[in-house]
Amino acid sequence: MDVGRHPKIRLLAYSEVEKIEGEVGNFRATVRKKARYVDENKCTGCGTCAEKCPSVTSDAYNLGLGKAKAIYKYFAQGIPSAYTIDPTVCRTFQGKKCGVCAKVCQAGAIDYKMEEKTVELEVGAIIVATGYDLFDARKIPEYGYGRLPNVVTALEFERFLSASGPTHGHVYRPTDLALMDALPEVEKNRQKAVKSLDQFEKKAGMTSDDFYPKYEAGELQGEDYDKWAEQVKACRQATEKIETVKAKVDRIGGAHRLAFIQCVGSRDIRFNKYCSGFCCMHAIKEAIIGLEHDKEAEVYIFGMDIRAVGKNFEEYRNRGANEAGIQFIRSRVAEIMEDKDHGPILVYEDTKERRVRQLPVDLVILATACQPSEGIAKLAGTLGIETNDFGFFKTASYPPLSTSRPGVFVCGCAQSPMDIPESVAQASSAAARAAQVLSSFETERLAS
Amino acid sequence: MNRDVLVIGGGIAGIQASLDLGEMGFQVHLVERLPSIGGKMAQLDKTFPTNDCAL
Repeated sequence: MDVGRHPKIRLLAYSEVEKIEGEVGNFRATVRKKARYVDENKCTGCGTCAEKCPSVTSDAYNLGLGKAKAIYKYFAQGIPSAYTIDPTVCRTFQGKKCGVCAKVCQAGAIDYKMEEKTVELEVGAIIVATGYDLFDARKIPEYGYGRLPNVVTALEFERFLSASGPTHGHVYRPTDLALMDALPEVEKNRQKAVKSLDQFEKKAGMTSDDFYPKYEAGELQGEDYDKWAEQVKACRQATEKIETVKAKVDRIGGAHRLAFIQCVGSRDIRFNKYCSGFCCMHAIKEAIIGLEHDKEAEVYIFGMDIRAVGKNFEEYRNRGANEAGIQFIRSRVAEIMEDKDHGPILVYEDTKERRVRQLPVDLVILATACQPSEGIAKLAGTLGIETNDFGFFKTASYPPLSTSRPGVFVCGCAQSPMDIPESVAQASSAAARAAQVLSSFETERLAS
Repeated sequence: MNRDVLVIGGGIAGIQASLDLGEMGFQVHLVERLPSIGGKMAQLDKTFPTNDCAL
């Protein structure tokens, strides 16, 4: 990532465009720089603050699958490398006594009193590259996303595959992760109970094992003894709980049967009529990597058809089928149910055999549609440009990256769904178009 | 007449456009909503077709 150190690129992270005035060649932009509460120039990104921060929250970068602190770096290699405080979680901002991060920060970068800043920019051209949002799979209740724990989205599965993700690259089911997470908690509960037993034992000068039968026989009575007995019970329960959780954790073997479901919210007249374009190749890629992680895995891709249109795409699909062993099933899955162990069961029509079938798997991965980003209508208003019927920025059929306002260009998924190579190609194209506009002004100026 | 360019969005498209313009000698202002640039692509483990790391 050369952006952070490029002499000609000024990075305004954690900022939003508020207002655009003027016209091509002479735009005035107002940008609101949100308060990070950490000085970007002082922060070295060492991470001591996050290590010591007592407030734990869910991790947005890992789509809520992992844990983050109230002072966080969006992701490890993120640029700028400065940390950010989330005031909705931070104890100091909740009016509680804390200030730990400011105490441990050797660079003195923490500034709880930092305020938003407004930056005024004068520019000749604007490129809009605001990307997309993913379809909320909860809108398709028959797939059970949000209700069935072992149904995830393709982007969530990406985090499971990643070595920097919440599972360090092991493919576990979310229910398995919840079990593993539960273990330290129950152990903590037991330790608490053991500690209070110790106090009772010291005070009374006998062990709990000696005390409890006597208490039960009614030989020892009194409020203190009642409390002690309660703790003994709590301790026994906690020990039992640990045994059951441990036994379950020992049985966790990871997810071996994976089912990918395509067109979740795309090519569906209820939601988005269009094809999201990248999901077929994304599923094949995730399936191949899943099989690299676990050669014995069974991997199914369910879809109406596979759209492998692009350089080397069809070859990649065939490699997935022939070498990696992906099984492509032509079918739209009707419903996902689950067994008593939270294992998803797919109900679908086998279109070759004309039969309704059921397939039990460990994990279902939904290819959620590419949709216009949430704030796109507001930004379109700010920029004074139009959106199309689907809600993406409207562009001319020729030249394809021009918006309805001269000097404002759009590229990537803000224009329409597309994959990474296409986004990169469009970005270079938009850059060339912006350069062309600015240079032609320059030429006119020199001529006059 | 101003020769600077405003790029809104620091995902792969915004980054590529900024780098191209920067290399051409234009001053670029890259605005990103989140604390770090990278966008959705930074959340991908590996990218097609070579299965190389995304970053």
